[in-house]
Amino acid sequence: MATVAIPSASKAARKARALRNNLSGYVFIGPWLLAFLLFTAAPMVTSLYFAFTNYDVFTAPQWAGLSNFETMFTKDGRYWKAVQATITFVFTAIPLRLIVALGLAMLLKAGRRGDGIYRAAYYAPSIVGGSVAIAVMWRQVFGTQGIINAISALFGIPAITFLGDPNWAIWTLVALAVWQFGSPMLIFLAGLKNIPTEFYEAASIDGAGPIRKFVTITLPLLSPVILFNLIMQIISGFMVFTQAFIVTGGAPLDTTLFYALYIYRRAFENFQMGYASALAWVLMLVIGIFAAVVFKTSSGWVFYENKDGN
Amino acid sequence: MKTLVSRRKFLKVAGFGAGAAALAACGGAAAPAATAAPAKPAATTAPAVVNTAVNMRIAWWGSQDRHDRTIKVIELYQKKNPNVKIAYEFASFNDHLTKMTTQAAGNSLPDIMQQDYAWISEWAGRGLIVPLEEYAASGALDLKDCADDFTKGGKVNGKLVALNLGSNSQTFLVDIDLFKKAGLDMPKDNWTWDDFEQIANTIKGKAGLYGAGSSLWNEQIWKSLYLSLGGWAYSDDGTALGYTDDKPFVDHLNRLLRLSKAGAIPSLADDMANYYDKSLELQAMATGKSASDSMWSNQIVGSWKAYGDAKNLKMLPLPRPAGGKSSNYIKPSQFFSITKDSKVKVEAAKFISFFTNDLEANDILFAERGVPIAAKVRDALKPKLGKSQTEMFNYVARVSNDVQPIRPPDPTGANDVVKNIYVPQVISPVLYEKMKAEDAVALLRKEATAILAKNKK
Repeated sequence: MATVAIPSASKAARKARALRNNLSGYVFIGPWLLAFLLFTAAPMVTSLYFAFTNYDVFTAPQWAGLSNFETMFTKDGRYWKAVQATITFVFTAIPLRLIVALGLAMLLKAGRRGDGIYRAAYYAPSIVGGSVAIAVMWRQVFGTQGIINAISALFGIPAITFLGDPNWAIWTLVALAVWQFGSPMLIFLAGLKNIPTEFYEAASIDGAGPIRKFVTITLPLLSPVILFNLIMQIISGFMVFTQAFIVTGGAPLDTTLFYALYIYRRAFENFQMGYASALAWVLMLVIGIFAAVVFKTSSGWVFYENKDGN
Repeated sequence: MKTLVSRRKFLKVAGFGAGAAALAACGGAAAPAATAAPAKPAATTAPAVVNTAVNMRIAWWGSQDRHDRTIKVIELYQKKNPNVKIAYEFASFNDHLTKMTTQAAGNSLPDIMQQDYAWISEWAGRGLIVPLEEYAASGALDLKDCADDFTKGGKVNGKLVALNLGSNSQTFLVDIDLFKKAGLDMPKDNWTWDDFEQIANTIKGKAGLYGAGSSLWNEQIWKSLYLSLGGWAYSDDGTALGYTDDKPFVDHLNRLLRLSKAGAIPSLADDMANYYDKSLELQAMATGKSASDSMWSNQIVGSWKAYGDAKNLKMLPLPRPAGGKSSNYIKPSQFFSITKDSKVKVEAAKFISFFTNDLEANDILFAERGVPIAAKVRDALKPKLGKSQTEMFNYVARVSNDVQPIRPPDPTGANDVVKNIYVPQVISPVLYEKMKAEDAVALLRKEATAILAKNKK
């Protein structure tokens, strides 16, 4: 008996010690966990319910089955405009932003004097980028009397009403998004610095030029970082809101009516919370599908150095 | 020994501290109103003035000028009634509605809220704002000096649920000197849209300016066009459109398209980029690009200031369609209502009464919300008025001789019609020349009918 009891007692003691050790961890995440449950998980579950109701905030939600989704896909003339604007934005702004971010990261990698200053300068737009102030500035830059038109006037190019012209407005927002390349740039930079210089030296000895080195060394070794950046940027791209809200307000002709902006308008201007919840859940599914597709295909193009090791 | 803190203990304390800080941060964002209400002074002074301490909240929308004036009046009221403490919230028009709706859902509406004509029937219908007759009967709300014509706009189903803060009508503000320079006579009050088109083209030709500013396409014009022809945008019961003939509106849109192509009014691209929803200082007339601008009459006070006091300006009624009657109606610019959530409704009524009748308060407010509804306030203000207020008082008096009766407040769903159909799917495609006016107006009828039909009981 005693021989059995001793190990079990020490097991219990180990358990207690493990719990004590973990306690401070739980204490640390406690506030976050509480806030997550209260302010993220609970509202999400509630909104899933609202998605199947008509809910105007004033009166209790009424069960509406799938009618919100039916309206969305078959009756709402603005829905497909919002989808079109968002897709256009994601498929242009995100690749361009990543290309610019990678290009600048390559330039900054070399480690010249004053590197830190450039890094800070290029990162600055991202820190302030999502802010209302930058969006307001953008309005001015692309205004009819803005700096862009003032400069083009010097070359005799007639002024363009960028923000009022359906052919132009969205591209001002794409330009704004591309300009906010700072955070993917920093991540790329960290990734580039992790690539051992021996590879490049060996390639140089074998006579490889810069393009060859970029394609056969940099891209494969950077691919996990590219994957990370791509996923994060796709998610944030689908959720773009502030810029369109401030700069164009969704006008002209709904060409900049980004999906998140449309959700906001339906929810807080028309008080159609049920319909807005349905819109939001469709957006979440679409983002999920895009992320899943990128993940699935990633095994074909992402190279993990340590796949077989460790 | 005792002063030493073990690493684990330190971590625990730090953890709790961080947690508390995080919670405090979360709480802080949600409760600015709580910090605004002076909890401590109330607790210490309460024993001295037993049972008479009154705490109220009031919310409104408007410009900075209005915020400043309203806050001064609140301070004046608190000075005269030391037992009353008034907390206030203000926002822009759209933010105000969002805030109020959210508070209505949470049963935490302020005691007094500013209301717009378009919303009162819905808010009263849901019981969110309460009838005011009993306070008028008890004398808390003094309406003896306010003619029925000025207050009846706040009635829903025969009950007064909102008190008008000033009277308004739509207007064209025109620059007399620019009209003269273009060789134009001042139009008569019964001018038509055909007259307007001719005038705008002349101004473009002679002075190289726009004949009018932003938003001749907005839903107010749509409503007024059909008002002039004996209808309205919505039927009286709110279950359908209030007109059967689409042609006048098709004609109006085609006219706007002609004018904007001729450069006689801003194109929609120009309007959206530069004028629509922008501050008064940026409007076409303020920047010297236009000879006239359409607006609500109370906005003349801010507009004239923005356009320059030296300008010679005149207010005209809206143009009417050929063969139509007046396109104008007298609209309460905004209201105060007492909400269901108020625990001090009598005190709230007293404040509204003060706001309406007190001469000192109205010296501060200075008709910024429109022509005051109390006769003695109007009389007391008249000698003190500047040019813009005088023009506004005279205009509202002049135009009220030839106006249409006010139509019912907007039905449920009107917001949906305007924001999701009228502007994005009718006005925009037509004025950007992506769709023919006939087709767009037919689409408006189809979609609006579907939305409004939901109001059928």
